Amino acid sequence: MASELTLTVNGAKQVVSAAPETPLIFVLRNELKLSGPRLGCGMAQCGSCSVLLDGEEIRTCITPVSYAVGKQVTTIEGLPAVWALEQKLSAADAAKTLHPVQQAWIDEQVPQCGYCQSGMMIAAVELLSKTPNPTIAQIKDAFTNKPPSPHLCRCGTYAAIIDAVQRAAKAMNARSEGMP
Amino acid sequence: MTLKTETSSDSQVLPFTTTLTRRGFVKMGGALFVSFAFPPGFRAQTAENQASLQTNQLNPTLLASWLEIRSDDTILMRTGRTETGTGMSGYYAQAIAEELSVQPETISLIMGDTDKTPDGGYSAGFLSGMANVRKVAAYTYQALLGLAAAQLSVPIESLSVVDGVVSGGEKRIRYGQLVEGQHLDLKIPVTGGFAKAAPGKWVGVDGLEGLTVTGDPPMRPLNQCKVMGTSFPVPGIPDKVTGKTRWSCDVTLPGMLHARMIRPATLGSTLISVGAIDKKQFPTAEIVKKGNLVAVVSPNEWEAISASRAVAAGTKWTEWAGLPGSENVTKTLRAYKWNTPPESRGKRADVTAALANATKTISASYEQPYVRHAPIGPFVAVADVRSDGSVTVWTHSAHSQGLRARIAYMLGSTPEQIVVRWLDQSGQYGRTTFGGDGAECDAVILSQLTGKPVRVQWTLQEDMMWSSVSPAWVSDIRAGFDANGHITALHSLFYSPHMMDPRPIGALLAGMPCSASEPGGWVATEWVYDKIQNRLEDVYGMPNLGAQTASGGLRGNIMRTPGQRQQNFALEGLISEAAAAANTDPIQFRLDHTTDERLINILKATAKAAGWEPRSSPHSQARKTGSTPVNGRGVSVMLRENAYWVGIAEITVVPDTGVIHVSRFIIGGEPGKIINPRQFGLCMKSGVVMGLSEALKEEVTFDKSKVTSTNWDRYKILTMEEMPEIKIVPLSRDDKNFGGGSEGANAVCPPAVTAAFFDATGVHARRIPLTPSYVTTLLKR
Repeated sequence: MASELTLTVNGAKQVVSAAPETPLIFVLRNELKLSGPRLGCGMAQCGSCSVLLDGEEIRTCITPVSYAVGKQVTTIEGLPAVWALEQKLSAADAAKTLHPVQQAWIDEQVPQCGYCQSGMMIAAVELLSKTPNPTIAQIKDAFTNKPPSPHLCRCGTYAAIIDAVQRAAKAMNARSEGMP
Repeated sequence: MTLKTETSSDSQVLPFTTTLTRRGFVKMGGALFVSFAFPPGFRAQTAENQASLQTNQLNPTLLASWLEIRSDDTILMRTGRTETGTGMSGYYAQAIAEELSVQPETISLIMGDTDKTPDGGYSAGFLSGMANVRKVAAYTYQALLGLAAAQLSVPIESLSVVDGVVSGGEKRIRYGQLVEGQHLDLKIPVTGGFAKAAPGKWVGVDGLEGLTVTGDPPMRPLNQCKVMGTSFPVPGIPDKVTGKTRWSCDVTLPGMLHARMIRPATLGSTLISVGAIDKKQFPTAEIVKKGNLVAVVSPNEWEAISASRAVAAGTKWTEWAGLPGSENVTKTLRAYKWNTPPESRGKRADVTAALANATKTISASYEQPYVRHAPIGPFVAVADVRSDGSVTVWTHSAHSQGLRARIAYMLGSTPEQIVVRWLDQSGQYGRTTFGGDGAECDAVILSQLTGKPVRVQWTLQEDMMWSSVSPAWVSDIRAGFDANGHITALHSLFYSPHMMDPRPIGALLAGMPCSASEPGGWVATEWVYDKIQNRLEDVYGMPNLGAQTASGGLRGNIMRTPGQRQQNFALEGLISEAAAAANTDPIQFRLDHTTDERLINILKATAKAAGWEPRSSPHSQARKTGSTPVNGRGVSVMLRENAYWVGIAEITVVPDTGVIHVSRFIIGGEPGKIINPRQFGLCMKSGVVMGLSEALKEEVTFDKSKVTSTNWDRYKILTMEEMPEIKIVPLSRDDKNFGGGSEGANAVCPPAVTAAFFDATGVHARRIPLTPSYVTTLLKR
């Protein structure tokens, strides 16, 4: 039976009506009209539905919406605001600044079909929050061996993803060092 | 006013006919609209096409069809072809910008919608799509020059254009100014028509190429290009990265129902009874059924999912067990009574004689199990069938008009009643190229039955069981040598279930009409070894496994680099074996059998980039036992659609565990003129990932009744960690036109890896995937 649940998604409080066991992805997509997380395998085997929950990557296809209550949900739509907050950007600067991971994904022209790439960027943001300067081996390890499954890309963009993660790392570290 | 552009030039009569008409003046804005004129002799088909144009095609007598130059200097291009993920939207913009002498950023594209685009054509057919786009732009350029010459009162020959500004005789005018306040209509010549169902013929749909622009307008020589050959950013990527893209899975309509399909228990099951819905638990869910097509719909997606699981558990199907089991596929293909090959190429008598006279012959058999496209996002579609019989379908099919034709055939309707709208979605890698496969027919049938718009989302398990597959195959090849170890004759025989059955499963299960294809096979290799004088290729086809069932069984379909991926694996496998038999370096052996300068150049360049030291295979340290890694290297080549490819694999094998690690892959590609160097490089690298995935991991498994590799644990693809260091060797040249650069990289990987395996172990691997269990079995023989 549907309940009223209060979520915090991309910084905004949202009241949704959903059965508590509903996987988060269907609430984000159908109720909140966020298209960043996309349904892939539906069983936490591919990573295309990933979002950040209090800064940790989760697979929304198997996470009940009730689990997200009281936690911060961040989709790719909310990444620029996360970065703006971290960097204390002015509203004017924030409006024209993407998260460095997103900027790197554009600069390295990573997406081909692009279906899996929201999840890839989410995984990259989480990795860089813990490992600011990852080596190629660390990037490969994070995208392959971190539970519950590898992040899969059928177009085969892995090489571009590695380049983009390293580009984003450089941009984020430069910015951090430049901060007073 | 009618301006005939061929009379605009005094110096020459151009061999094409276009007409530029001023239809009138407009108060605001203004534009030059480029539409098409069918040639004489096209009348019969034209009449029918014109009828369709009146309803949901653009009407070229009223509206722009192809290209618009607007008074604000923006340019709109409409094409029925779509972005499949490899960058075509960027290449098309570059081609238009090149011929019009404008910046590519000024061009926006409308792609794939059948009611907004005129030309159709499959999205994979990039070379023909590219030729069309260039000619459209080139004709338009001539018309603009004519307008400018009249406006500026200077001879057309004195005009030059930079960034959409025409200059001549000290005067300048923008394209936007040339069209300001006017409605100009430029008609250009085309042949072809719209995709139509053609049951029993080839893939079951005619007109797959759509319209082809004819004539020979002057175009920019490739060595003078300013936009093609630059790394123009592929449009659409920022929106994909920021979440602004509207994907086909995002389509929602008022009153729309979410559907989940309940598929048969086996590929051959028929419905006995449908389980019940507990209305207390699922108050809004309903069962919808037609024939063996069963679904649960609800306005709430999660309720549709939950209810469908409950209903599926109570739904009864007949038993069926008509498949051989994937472990017996090769045996099954071997046992099949093949008739004469549907397609052959080469001189049979000469090859037979040359093999009989050869000093020595070698022969080998190669094989591969079923593999599949396996996108990350399963099929999804939305359909709205209205009471007046009109239909709108939202899709990510790579062939909108082909899909429209199939839906029309299924409904006993006409294409004019159906609009197909295209949106981005997960890559399809060939399975929708013929307008079939997918969730669209499920959605249309359910919408027709419920009277509401319906969104059908397949699950991964469903996609991996019910979408079409790239069939298993076996190939026997025999080569004859002269006394110098040079190949004098080569005969290949290729056997496979056919790979041209894109019939949509929804229509099949519902028992509705499907435009069937013609089972068969085709010779897909393009020959680079011109010094091998005698060659013969026979390709045999058979129906799908399980073809007699209502579902059509394992429906074979094309998959990236189709036919050639398989046939070239066998050919290059044998060439590597022949090089070893001749005790010759495998690159040198290939060079010894060709005079093709393009192959020689890219082969040498790639070998150099790899630091290739000539020697024969296997390696002197090769071994087939031991718990420590042993190294090997291998090479393969391919010519496909005017693009030359070279792959060099460097691998390690641990014989006792059978684990292969590809440590480095060097890929060379020469596709004539490279349109977008950065994107070409990205496609080379991603193609290597897909090719190595196939070489090492991919296999569709099935038991006697159903597919069993139905998730990512069972259908394994390459992970990031398994990707080797990839080095690219792109070669662009201006004198060979354009080649197929997006596709092909994948196909050079498997034969390079198996050659490297032989180099490391001294054992020929003639089957992929090289899984640890297969490798250990192979090495213990």
